[in-house]
Amino acid sequence: MSRMKWMAAAVTALALTVGAAQAQEMRKIKIGTEGAYPPFNNLEADGSLVGFDVDIAKALCAEMKADCEFVTQDWDGIIPALLAGKFDAIIASMSITDERKKVIDFTNKYYNTPPAIAVPNDSKLGGVMASDLSDIRLGAQSSTTHSNYAEEKFPDADLTLYPTPDEYKMDLANGRIDAAIDDVVVLSEWLDTDDGACCRILGTLTPDMKINGEGAGIGIRQGEDELKAMFNKAIDAIRANGTYDEINKKYFAFDVFGS
Amino acid sequence: MDQVWTLVSFGDEGWGDEIARGTLLTVALALSTLPFGLLLGFFVALAKDSNEPSLKRAAEIFTTIFRGLPELLTLFIVFFGVQILLRQFAELFVENPTIEINSFFAGMVALGLVFSAYASEAFLSAFKGIPSGQYEGGFAVGLTRFQTMRLIILPQLIRLALPALSNLWLILLKDTALVSVIGLADILRQSGIAARVTKEAFLFFGIACLIYLVLAILSSIVLGGIERWAKRGEAAR
Repeated sequence: MSRMKWMAAAVTALALTVGAAQAQEMRKIKIGTEGAYPPFNNLEADGSLVGFDVDIAKALCAEMKADCEFVTQDWDGIIPALLAGKFDAIIASMSITDERKKVIDFTNKYYNTPPAIAVPNDSKLGGVMASDLSDIRLGAQSSTTHSNYAEEKFPDADLTLYPTPDEYKMDLANGRIDAAIDDVVVLSEWLDTDDGACCRILGTLTPDMKINGEGAGIGIRQGEDELKAMFNKAIDAIRANGTYDEINKKYFAFDVFGS
Repeated sequence: MDQVWTLVSFGDEGWGDEIARGTLLTVALALSTLPFGLLLGFFVALAKDSNEPSLKRAAEIFTTIFRGLPELLTLFIVFFGVQILLRQFAELFVENPTIEINSFFAGMVALGLVFSAYASEAFLSAFKGIPSGQYEGGFAVGLTRFQTMRLIILPQLIRLALPALSNLWLILLKDTALVSVIGLADILRQSGIAARVTKEAFLFFGIACLIYLVLAILSSIVLGGIERWAKRGEAAR
């Protein structure tokens, strides 16, 4: 009996310590990001993490008075890693979609940019309507809203999916595909470099709420409503106090928040 | 050209140190998976070779699963699946438990399981290549089962299984590239980041390619040495 009591006491003590540690850690948030998606989030040669997402995350953390730690994680495993508790929030330009909402929860959007179509400079394509893009070879990054958009809106196009944007860029440059679809920011960033000299933007597309969703949000585990409310409040706060605009100006010539 | 040297240099300007760290991780992961995989594979082969039906069946199920599943899936199951299971189990006792399976460890276990499933077949065929007279000879001169295994069977086993195991080693070395999905920064992940950030995809993937080739060449030199060592008995014939 005494041994049982002792064990019960030990278990209680352990539970209490864990509980106390939890209370202390309330303001400690681990943020997962991809680290390979410039200009939103990418690692630099000196090992530092930079980009729009990262600056926004830092501003939100400052607003929430939270102690944030960044974890970089390959895109393909980013939702499983969140679910497994490797980090508490995904701030990695993840679009809010119904499909993803089945597995994780999102805060309100923190930006929303339209998709666009890029083509080689000498392309004869006339526009970005589905009729213009039938029977062409179209490239997109797989498992993204852009690949879903292409499948849905351009059923007649011959769609090729790539694991990363770099691959469709290379194929677009060397003529293996006729056009590529991605976010206007990603495309224009690339077109500004020497590598992007091959190509131009054909036009931006009208976002479809059903596919493109409400923009990019912060992904969190389902049921963590308190964390969600904290983030939403912080997003509103940095929108209101000008911090957001400053970060926006640092990276883009246009308003990324969208309407 | 100067720009290229800056890009691949070590330090804050270049990606050389990142890629070197990635190489170190790839090599460390492959090397630490190897003994685990070999040992497990050996015992699975023993089980398959045994006369105990339940043991035999268990070993066959093991091989079927881990040879059948794609390596990536095994990795996901070990890393995310097991962690989610542990988390849910721990949630019975405490609220919001923080349980974390180390990515390196998960990678090692997943790759080791796959490696052992294949290696067990290599060992099994090697076992079949050793005539039963070898065992009987051992027992006849008064060796115990363990001594027979260690002194007579194992040296021949290594020689017979080596070609197949060499293949498996090279496959393992390349399979380590999968661990980037569980957050480990191996050669491919590091050079991939460098390629995407600097927009010098050809340069950095070219470097990754060369590193894998160099690792393969080094491996074949070492394996050649082991093979000569394993065949040292044959030269006298």
